[in-house]
Amino acid sequence: MSNLPTAPETLADYVSGNLWLFFAIATAAIMGYLTLNALFLIWLERKISAHIQRRLGPMEVGWHGVLQTVADMLKLLSKQLVTPRAIDKPLYHLAPVVVFAPVIASVAMFPFAEDLVILDIELSLAYVFVFGGIGIIGIFMAGWGSNNKYALLGAMRSVAQNISYEIPLILSALSVVLLVSGLEPVIINDNDQLRPASGISLIDIAIVQDAKGWWFVLVQPVAALIYFIAAVAETNRAPFDIPEAESELVAGFHTEYSGMRFAMFFFAEYTNMIIVSMVATVLFFGGWSGPLLPGPVWFFGKTYLLIGGMMWFRWTFPRLRFDQLMSFCWTVLIPLSIVNLLVTALVLELL
Amino acid sequence: MQGAASEVLCGHCNRENPLVMEQYAQLCGFLALGLVLGAIPLIVPLFISPRYEGEETRQTYECGVDTFGTSWMRFNIAYYVFALIFVAFEVDVLYLFPVALVFQEFPWRGLIEIALFLAILSLAIVYAWRKGVFKWSV
Repeated sequence: MSNLPTAPETLADYVSGNLWLFFAIATAAIMGYLTLNALFLIWLERKISAHIQRRLGPMEVGWHGVLQTVADMLKLLSKQLVTPRAIDKPLYHLAPVVVFAPVIASVAMFPFAEDLVILDIELSLAYVFVFGGIGIIGIFMAGWGSNNKYALLGAMRSVAQNISYEIPLILSALSVVLLVSGLEPVIINDNDQLRPASGISLIDIAIVQDAKGWWFVLVQPVAALIYFIAAVAETNRAPFDIPEAESELVAGFHTEYSGMRFAMFFFAEYTNMIIVSMVATVLFFGGWSGPLLPGPVWFFGKTYLLIGGMMWFRWTFPRLRFDQLMSFCWTVLIPLSIVNLLVTALVLELL
Repeated sequence: MQGAASEVLCGHCNRENPLVMEQYAQLCGFLALGLVLGAIPLIVPLFISPRYEGEETRQTYECGVDTFGTSWMRFNIAYYVFALIFVAFEVDVLYLFPVALVFQEFPWRGLIEIALFLAILSLAIVYAWRKGVFKWSV
């Protein structure tokens, strides 16, 4: 029994049920991390894009411009919030908050290491997708509420794209769920109760890969590839950034947002990048598992490597046209992920 | 720890203890906190940002020319068709999650049912494909 993998102690266990302390620590940690992460990623993106184009990027503020995004944030904080006259008031003002709200809850469910978990929820994988869906509602609220033609077009495209690419995203995650429940079950010692690992819990998926000693990307390379492509589209990033194609739609759904309101959408975009990369890390790359180095190093190392890949992706491929984008999803990615799912199920039966 | 731990419980039914409900309540707590914290960066600039208002400051942006009409108008029907297939797919994919979770307990039957289910579902794509939805010619 001692060599069975154990369910992690959660933050609630550490603070022994003190709810105020729990929420205070969790929120401060997550918000602090996400803010630093967004500032870092924006700087990283500018540096990577610059160097890919043989430029230097920001160089003036701090060492190689690391403080540039801090300066940008302070500038945005002091900018006037211009509110157009013709808006739909409740939708327009609520949209940035709706986009931002599910972020903390999403990040709280991830296992950053085997003993670094904030919330242990069985349905965490499903909830991450649910919270991703709330962000789409926020985008549509912004686009419709702005009463701006570019914003509306951007929001329509964004919603159509996001809902379409959510299907291959979930189908490829589903093949991992199937794998966890179809393979030789891994028994987890959960507070001295033994239970098989559940395929829909992010923590359990990571535990299974850690216990088996190999990562699911080895047996699900197609699902991993589909997931990565769909995740890039989910975050509205190039080459799938038609919703805010600068040359056509000014800024897409956040055309009418200025100052901190705009910053919230920007923050949400970079946070979504980290969330989809964390999901990929847990589903396909074993979460915290890896030799020698401690768990968080592996977890964040894999996550930021994936993000680096997404940025490389962005500056390598040209933007797709909108009908190509939609037909690529429905006629290539979705059939492929359905076939992949069926093959996975068949192989699991034959094993 | 003694004896009680030797028995392997069902993976999905032993989580019905009150602690689990507490964790879902905590998840809701994080959502509520997100709403509150999301409002702060929108309120702070109200105190420190300038408030200039000229004649055209609050006009809807339209690349420099005067705003022409409203934006709440008709748009391409294809978006509606996509939304329709999406709803069909998304709801059905949700049903696949429980099936995938108990896949091991129903050998072959699980596979056949998933295959049938996905085959019927795929007809939606085939139909839309034939109708030219993906070529944007509805």
